Amino acid sequence: MIKVTINGKEIELEQPETILKAARKAGIKIPTLCHHDWLKMYGGCRLCLVEIEKMPRLQPACSFLVSDGMVVTTESEQISAVRRGVLEFILINHPLDCPFCDKAGECELQDAVYIYGPSSGRFKEQKIKHPENNTDPLLARNMERCIACTRCVRMCEDVQGAYAIAMTNRGDRTLMEPFSGNRFDCEYCGNCLTVCPVGSILSRPSKSSYRPWQMDANIATVCSYCGVGCLLNLQVRDESIKKVIPVEDAALRSSFERFGPGVAEKNTEKNLYENSVENRKSLNRGLLCALGRFGHEYVDSRERLTSPMVRKNGKLVETSWDEALDFVALKLNEIKNSSGGSALAGIASPRCTNEDNYIFQKFMRGVLGTNNIDSTARLGFAGAQAYLENLMGQGITANPISDLEDADVIFVVGGDPTIATPVLGLNIRAAAAKGAKIITLGRAAGLGRSKPKEITANLFTENKVLERLLALLFSKKEMTGELPAFEEKLKAAAAAPPAEKTTEVTGVTEAEMAEISEIVASAESFAVVIGSDIVQRAAGHCGLFCLAGISYLASGRIFLLSDRPNEQGLIDMGCLPDRLPGGQSLAIDGFRKKYEEISGLTAPPDKGLTLFPMLKAISEGEIKGLYVMGENPALNLPNWPAGDTRKSKIKSLELLVVQDIFPTETSAMADVVLPALSWAEREGTYTNLEHRIQVLRRAVKNMTYGRDDWRIIAEISSRMGTAMKFSSPADIMAEIVRVSPVHRDLRYPDIEKGTMLCRPYKGQPSKSQAGGVVHGEGFKDLIKTCDRPGGSLDDKKSMHRDFVLLLERSLFYSGVTSRKTPALSRIRPDAAVLRMHPEDAAPGLVEGGRVRVSSPSSEETLELETVFDSSVPRGAVKIPEYLEDLGVGALSLITNLPVDPVTKAPAFEECRVTVEAV
Amino acid sequence: MKKEVMQNDLDNKSLFSPVSLRKRYPTLQATLLPALYEAQKRFEWLSLEALEAVSKELDVPKATVRGVATFYSMYKKHPMGRHLIQLCTNISCMLFGAERLVDIIKKHYGVEAGKTSDDGRFSLVIMECIGACGTAPAMLVNTDFHENLTEENIIKILDEYK
Ligand code: SF4
Ligand code: SF4
Ligand code: SF4
Ligand code: FES
Ligand code: FES
Repeated sequence: MIKVTINGKEIELEQPETILKAARKAGIKIPTLCHHDWLKMYGGCRLCLVEIEKMPRLQPACSFLVSDGMVVTTESEQISAVRRGVLEFILINHPLDCPFCDKAGECELQDAVYIYGPSSGRFKEQKIKHPENNTDPLLARNMERCIACTRCVRMCEDVQGAYAIAMTNRGDRTLMEPFSGNRFDCEYCGNCLTVCPVGSILSRPSKSSYRPWQMDANIATVCSYCGVGCLLNLQVRDESIKKVIPVEDAALRSSFERFGPGVAEKNTEKNLYENSVENRKSLNRGLLCALGRFGHEYVDSRERLTSPMVRKNGKLVETSWDEALDFVALKLNEIKNSSGGSALAGIASPRCTNEDNYIFQKFMRGVLGTNNIDSTARLGFAGAQAYLENLMGQGITANPISDLEDADVIFVVGGDPTIATPVLGLNIRAAAAKGAKIITLGRAAGLGRSKPKEITANLFTENKVLERLLALLFSKKEMTGELPAFEEKLKAAAAAPPAEKTTEVTGVTEAEMAEISEIVASAESFAVVIGSDIVQRAAGHCGLFCLAGISYLASGRIFLLSDRPNEQGLIDMGCLPDRLPGGQSLAIDGFRKKYEEISGLTAPPDKGLTLFPMLKAISEGEIKGLYVMGENPALNLPNWPAGDTRKSKIKSLELLVVQDIFPTETSAMADVVLPALSWAEREGTYTNLEHRIQVLRRAVKNMTYGRDDWRIIAEISSRMGTAMKFSSPADIMAEIVRVSPVHRDLRYPDIEKGTMLCRPYKGQPSKSQAGGVVHGEGFKDLIKTCDRPGGSLDDKKSMHRDFVLLLERSLFYSGVTSRKTPALSRIRPDAAVLRMHPEDAAPGLVEGGRVRVSSPSSEETLELETVFDSSVPRGAVKIPEYLEDLGVGALSLITNLPVDPVTKAPAFEECRVTVEAV
Repeated sequence: MKKEVMQNDLDNKSLFSPVSLRKRYPTLQATLLPALYEAQKRFEWLSLEALEAVSKELDVPKATVRGVATFYSMYKKHPMGRHLIQLCTNISCMLFGAERLVDIIKKHYGVEAGKTSDDGRFSLVIMECIGACGTAPAMLVNTDFHENLTEENIIKILDEYK
């Protein structure tokens, strides 16, 4: 126990801490500038100097540790004089352009000078000039205001791990610069902007558009981009989002209490400590990524859908809500009556709330009489989640993201977490910085600085690598008996003869496999991070089986990446063809009975179609009506049935209803288009990839005629004769918690309060899954399936121009909302390029030359510029998933991918394209 | 001393490959300063291209490389003349007339402090104490050290650099 006295107050501490932290516990605030709670200790500015009894000189509180018996004074005449001196120095070259500075009012320098002075400086020299640099599309850099505290650099290096900026030059010329001195060309997380104490780094989209004290509201909500679900504060003025800041930052500012002589006593102990950052850790701990921070302009876009539209004489024309809704109700009734519910299908949305999705499936099942409900989560997340839960129990993927940081070995498979789920990626970088070993299988360039052990397997042979790793690990680890059924399968798998020629096929040596299995076996805290690439295989489930086994044997935790905000929620809400809300199997009568009893509607007993069979059924005319809520399948999905051309109506569909906030590739083909509300205009809940439910709050008024997704559906339902009487999302949640056992006891006010809930799960299969496990026969079967790679690479060699299409993902792209946000468009590389290995270039293909990309199954072609890149695997070409200039998605080329028999995810190794020089 | 170390690195006229330097330093980070010298030799001055090459070779982030390169005044951050004069005008040198020397150099070779002569022969950089206070005034021409400069001998010395 350490006893210290600060300003006459006795404080007891368990461990030595900095004077700053100790003082805070006693409710005493000490001014700081270079210190920031999230960053490494620095001690550069000397503003925090305090007196320590028996020490000859003042010491910096932010970096000086207390020791037993220490007596500290934080405010005195002498201290004030020194602080004034420090500030006078800082102000020598500071422009003092507060009247024009965005930061004025929340500037730490301004606040400090306001308290300590000086009111004027004694330096007569000219101030050094650095005109504000606005060459970057997103970040303005005003280096006259910079106080060289290095907070931004420490953020970018130690926390963000991007190393994009540095302090350059020296002495009074020191300033912060990105490498180029102009454009940042970085990850654009804007986290440097969060920590800058002054107005040196500014967001250009919001620059000069408001003063901090002029905000109408500061609304805490959840990010609408990926499955991490970062907490954000939307700063709103005149019904428009001006700026997005992380929640912690807001907390920090509200706790920015007065310090200085005479005011210390006023800070109540409780206040200061509770508001302090250590005490207010949210999921994202104050960090954001480019999408979350800069991706909000779409809400104000002029391109938003403003009115319902109905196709008349082949053209979509604006109508009233009544006419549109009546039309939809009429048509749906017609199809249902003539062809039955199975002729109808619905695509739900991982961007819509839990409440929207609950109502969606209730409508599809109870009113339209169909279980044909699926979503783009089928591209990977949904199938993988279900399969892993089948094997290992419900909730097996419900692991707190923050735990990743404490893992000592992290196995990252099938994607780059720093792109799919940027802030989760930071947890992995943080773990690596603390000494964790990172192993990657599949390219994860964003983890490069974490010095991962990269397993570079030949294209599409990851499953073989995983199989081998599982076998090696099995021989090293004892089983715990925790999941007997799964252990049986693992045993069977291990008993199977080893796959032949593993090294030859995968290109990974036995020694490397042994080394990696040893790292995993000796892990104390192991985590497996699974991205969608490994799921999108003809035998994707085999890879998942191995990963589940590896995780189980090494007592790991599984993190399933999700690049949409509510994929988990959508699954929990039962927007699946075979499961009711709460993951309850449709096949079990008891569940269905209960569901029907509470929802007051009947659900058809037979499983519906998953996404890709659904699309096939549309092409074949078996499905006549499709309802799409908040999704753009024509762009985001392969295998989308073509109309005459992509932009016209799909001939085989009698009715296509699209509910969205923007006109999209899909809405262009629709018969009815219904405008919905954007994320900032509505309320509801999202469930993130760790199964945490968080509240979305309304921040701005809707300026269109759009309506809540759930309201639109409830309206149609009433018009079809089934009233849905809900008045708010909370109302819907009240029904959800009765229907879904995993949401039991969840009360809306609790979620709303911000008491963030991780659902109570135990790693045991719930009854619905018992016996539902897909692979009863053991691993031999798996191997057989795995041995059937999606077309061997050899056949390609004979047809020189045929390549496997790999999608290049961008940190700054995420569907239509990101496209309608100019800030993001400006930082996205817009080049329509195709990358290929230089040695793959057939005669006529030259670097910089133009090529035509086509696929045998599609009429679409793309014309792109060639770039040679030896990081692209032989036999493959890489194309950005969305081609800004051309306004098309690369997937629009692909029309007949097979699916994995278990997860029903598409087999992307079958994405074959032909590349010819133009 | 200085001369010796630099000579070793700079005499190597082969392609830019500070890899050979790595062996001599405990970490890649520590190799940064000599690697920058080598890059300067190969690229003539530390252009962004040169800094990127160093960053790649040493696996040190390029922004950090630039931060280090701009911190030290002895790296060339701009294209320079054939010969670089680094003349000290700090206290000791100033007391012994270094500022007169600046004028003389300007008059004789037409090069101003911080600039390059029109014929591209000399660039002149004013330094802050180059550690030769005892034999002030002092200057470096390229990598050669010259001390006890006088108004007379400085021209003789510089005339040798064509
Ligand atoms: S925006 Fe992010 S990546 Fe870019 S410089 Fe700032 S902290 Fe670094
Ligand atoms: S830009 Fe801001 S955070 Fe960075 S060193 Fe300057 S004042 Fe500090
Ligand atoms: S990491 Fe995900 S949730 Fe967080 S700000 Fe970025 S997109 Fe939003
Ligand atoms: S805050 Fe303590 S030295 Fe800057
Ligand atoms: S002052 Fe010129 S060398 Fe020290």
